[in-house]
Amino acid sequence: MLLDYDRLGALRWLLGGISLAVALFLLLPILLIVALSFGSSQWLQFPPPGWTLRWYRDLFADPGWLDAVLASLKVASIVTVLSVLLGLLAAFGLVRGRFRGREVLRALFLTPMVLPVVVLAVALYALFLRLHLNGTLAGFVIAHLVIALPFALLSIGNALERFDKAIEDAAVLCGASPWEARLRVTLPGIRLGLFAAAIFSFLASWDEVVLAIFMASPDLQTLPVRVWGALRQDLSPVIAAASALLVAFTAALMLLAALFRRSKEP
Amino acid sequence: MTPPFLSIRGIRKAYGDAVAVEAVSLDIARGEFVTFLGPSGSGKSTTLYVIAGLLQPSAGDVLLDGRSLLAVPSHRRNIGMVFQRYTLFPHLTVAENVAFPLRVRRRPEAEVQAKVKAMLELVRLEPYRDRLPAKLSGGQQQRVALARALAYDPPVLLMDEPLSALDKTLREEIQVEIRRIHRETGVTILYVTHDQEEALRLSDRIALFNHGRIEQIGSGRDLYDASQTRFAAGFIGNSNFLPGRIAASGAGRAIIVCPDGSRIEGVPLQGLEGGGGEAMLMVRPERMRLERPAPGRAGLPGVVVDRTFLGDTMHYTVRTPWNQELAVRSPLAEAGDADFGFGDAVTVAWDAEQTRLFPGG
Repeated sequence: MLLDYDRLGALRWLLGGISLAVALFLLLPILLIVALSFGSSQWLQFPPPGWTLRWYRDLFADPGWLDAVLASLKVASIVTVLSVLLGLLAAFGLVRGRFRGREVLRALFLTPMVLPVVVLAVALYALFLRLHLNGTLAGFVIAHLVIALPFALLSIGNALERFDKAIEDAAVLCGASPWEARLRVTLPGIRLGLFAAAIFSFLASWDEVVLAIFMASPDLQTLPVRVWGALRQDLSPVIAAASALLVAFTAALMLLAALFRRSKEP
Repeated sequence: MTPPFLSIRGIRKAYGDAVAVEAVSLDIARGEFVTFLGPSGSGKSTTLYVIAGLLQPSAGDVLLDGRSLLAVPSHRRNIGMVFQRYTLFPHLTVAENVAFPLRVRRRPEAEVQAKVKAMLELVRLEPYRDRLPAKLSGGQQQRVALARALAYDPPVLLMDEPLSALDKTLREEIQVEIRRIHRETGVTILYVTHDQEEALRLSDRIALFNHGRIEQIGSGRDLYDASQTRFAAGFIGNSNFLPGRIAASGAGRAIIVCPDGSRIEGVPLQGLEGGGGEAMLMVRPERMRLERPAPGRAGLPGVVVDRTFLGDTMHYTVRTPWNQELAVRSPLAEAGDADFGFGDAVTVAWDAEQTRLFPGG
């Protein structure tokens, strides 16, 4: 190959340096937040004068924060289930179907990925005002489903495209009805795609803040909304602790996905 | 009169204006091994898919034991099929793959286990029963696919170029296995291939497909020695096509005049009676022989332009006066026999009985 890594010579050091700089640029804000959450300064001072777990104690002692965490988990879980189910059905239609306007429909399904979220948020807010869905669990779920579905559709669609239809045909010839073949052969065959769809759908909802701000009410708000609200009232290190938890949970999910993928590779 | 075991009647399959299968009719006896041979796009796989029920024909019917299959969905046809691509279920082991059709049919577990064991023994893959398909070679995967397709004792087994992804040695090895399995199980097999050697090796009868039609059906020998059409003669084996003109005919024989004026007498007319004018002669390379030119000797004049030693035979390329190159395959010359080299003038001769005659143009 023209750009063989082993033959780059001194350029390898340059490449390594650039990679390190980019990694630091991406990671530093996160590391900073985590460090601050353990810092003893009340004013988010960096470097911290000392270390403490006080902010985490405060965080778990406050029922408002706990409610926010539970609300986030509840919304993200429901969104995950619905997103994978709808994404699966849509992917079957878009990948296997042969009809006019298929490409247009696929593009339409993916628009939430490129549409400015705030535009979507305003539109949903206006619609939900009429339907009295603002501030309800259903409102949250529908709003987050809109942005989670494209991720599910992409993951499952890709997996389904890679899965040879002839394998499903073979199952049918073996005597399985078309539905049985899909359930017993195709679904297990695309399980990595389903798993990826679940993780991405969960995360799309879990760390979403713009739509959530529009949907939130004093009684129902997700963790990112609570962080945002707290940030505007007072600059307490409890926010750093909450943010660190948010990041930790996200990182754990990504790690799980990576492990799962590795264990399934031959 | 008992109906034929499997009867394909006037199958036609069109996609809009594109016709994949024009009109295919064929009767197959129980236990027969029939190959669909033809170039890609000739309709052989489409016909197979119609029998499998994976495609609905635009017209025609498929009957098994006298009953139409068209209204029966694929999964109730009880037909076995091995595909061109690897279609083992990737998340199931070899044994679970073979058990799948039996589990779907809710057979008792003891029967499933016994059948899986018997099938894996049949394809000689018993030691691999707990492996996942990804850990098998291509040849092993296709043998498992064969075991899975036979596990429920289907009356008909369809095979769609199952060996085309394998290399030549492995292909020949599995061809021997398939023949043995056909002998041992007595299952009726329809086998699609574009490889004439594979077709000749495996089948009782070959149906030669071209442009969505069957050009000729018969044993390999029939197709080789008694090709009915120019396409059949050209597709099966090697062949020399010579342009000519029917100068005279009578009593089923014709005199053909070649472009340089050479006359070939006693050519069987093969249904071209009454047809004067242009014709095309076909002679197999191994039917031709080279002789030293001599006055009065019958045959075509030519010059040796190339010769290749092929172990059991010598392959000559001979140029005719009208600049056509003929392939001639002769047994190796024994001591004392005439041997020919580059540039030698020769006479190409053959038994007129061995000539196939087709309409010219």
